[in-house]
Amino acid sequence: MLMAPALLAMAAIVFYPVISTLLSSFFEMNKMGDWVRFVGLGNFSSLFADKTFWVVLARSVFWTVVAVALKTLAGLGLGILLNQDYRGRGIIRTLIVIPWAAPVPIAAMIWMWTFNSQFGLLNHFLKQMGITSRPPAWLANPTTAFWANLTVDVWLGIPFMALAFLAGLQAISHEYYEAAEIDGANSLQRFSYITLPFLRPVILVATLLSVMWTFNDFNVIYIITKGGPMNTTDILVTYLYKTAFLFLDFSHASVMAFITFIVLLVFSLAYARLYFKEG
Amino acid sequence: MGSIRKTGQAVAFYGISAVSLFLLLFPFFVMLSTSLKQVGEVYSTPPTWIPKVVYWKNYIEIWQQYPIGRYISNSFFIAVTCTILNGLLAVPAAYAVSRLRFAGRKMFMYMFLVVQMFSPVIIIMPLFKLMAVWGLLDTYQSLIITNTVFTLSFSIWMLSSYFNNVPVDIEQAALIDGCSRVQTITKILIPIAAPGIVTTAIYTFISVWNEFMFALTFISRAEMRPLTVGLYNFIRLWTINWHHLMTGAVIGIVPIVILFMIAERNLVKGLAAGAVKS
Repeated sequence: MLMAPALLAMAAIVFYPVISTLLSSFFEMNKMGDWVRFVGLGNFSSLFADKTFWVVLARSVFWTVVAVALKTLAGLGLGILLNQDYRGRGIIRTLIVIPWAAPVPIAAMIWMWTFNSQFGLLNHFLKQMGITSRPPAWLANPTTAFWANLTVDVWLGIPFMALAFLAGLQAISHEYYEAAEIDGANSLQRFSYITLPFLRPVILVATLLSVMWTFNDFNVIYIITKGGPMNTTDILVTYLYKTAFLFLDFSHASVMAFITFIVLLVFSLAYARLYFKEG
Repeated sequence: MGSIRKTGQAVAFYGISAVSLFLLLFPFFVMLSTSLKQVGEVYSTPPTWIPKVVYWKNYIEIWQQYPIGRYISNSFFIAVTCTILNGLLAVPAAYAVSRLRFAGRKMFMYMFLVVQMFSPVIIIMPLFKLMAVWGLLDTYQSLIITNTVFTLSFSIWMLSSYFNNVPVDIEQAALIDGCSRVQTITKILIPIAAPGIVTTAIYTFISVWNEFMFALTFISRAEMRPLTVGLYNFIRLWTINWHHLMTGAVIGIVPIVILFMIAERNLVKGLAAGAVKS
């Protein structure tokens, strides 16, 4: 059986840990991560009684919705731009890939330095352009730190969106536009009656992928703010990781992993269905 | 009229392009600029856009003052090993999914697609315990095993879609001529699907090179760190030497960006294939 080695490896390193995590959420665990005793839904109810958890969960949803919306819009704009016929767009297409191509952890460290309130070039730029004379210390207070993280996440996600939309746009035949132009459709009408309907499947797939990547964006937040100051920039995955490996509370971390698993499962099943239906 | 409209359009295109490029490449400019500054200039206010004195020595100092060479060779060794193992496991599996009609084939395709989306955070706790039990914490093996398997479902899935595009007829002819199944894979399918296999291999290499969370969790000894975690450790120091960190960033980013650009066009197609009909 040709698939046996791959399946065995996945069983040990993916499926067994998933099941183990799911089961763990019903056990009280010690600081070594061993099961102490079965507590049923006890871990769930104590986690749900913790206010921080709900704040983090709500922030994860907000984070995902806002970031995906911004990436989709910016990506759509950029995709349409690159679909126009002008000199040099080939070079631009190549260059915009770089944020996606660069290793995320390293890119996050560069951003951290860019956000530096005293020596960072971002604040220097804002002052020079006259946008503000007293730019914030981005990473020192909760609100600006959240938006700083979000900026980085959006920045990372734009190239994929733009390229996916560009591929979708290039697949639309010119004849539709020519026919519409002859019939007197203006550019807004052409966009909403030709471009959007044809792009719909790409938009669906790309946003679904983006939702999963954004919801999972551990690296950016963990590196730039580590969820701080005081958990105010944590999303579910970073809070989960800290609960496990910094606070050594494996029971509650497992419950959060359980919830993350369900969320991702729902979205990835939707993605799989779309993929097989369209393809 | 027409030419004025055209000129206006061109100005708009180039204007928007320039702004987009500026926003998307800004941090890389910061990285390059800082990596060429002397310490004094790095910590001066107001900061400078372009180094007053271009200081190449950062690129020498980083090798002398930090185990950056060790980090890079760790990353390289782990990523290459994972890529090879990944290929050995994924090619036969992708062949099975693509060529053999067996019960549950569709279910496996579904499974690979879903698993590809899993977050490592979900499984990190049991994996940490497994590695501890196997005595693999602080070893290359811990990262090689997890990364190989974690990139596997994506590879199988990419490869099988490449294999699907190779006509079956040639293989059937070879089978009739007396080739074994293994021979049809190694002598016919692999050479024809080589571009797809290379793309998949590059992508695996990059994913492993970029990996952060497994390494952060399994590795605590400095000399075992891959580059991502090695550089991250600069931030944990009391005083951060940003000029050296940015120099390390250049070294860590440039080869990966070049590799990525080679594979990227096929990658977008793979990820959104179902939705883009050409």
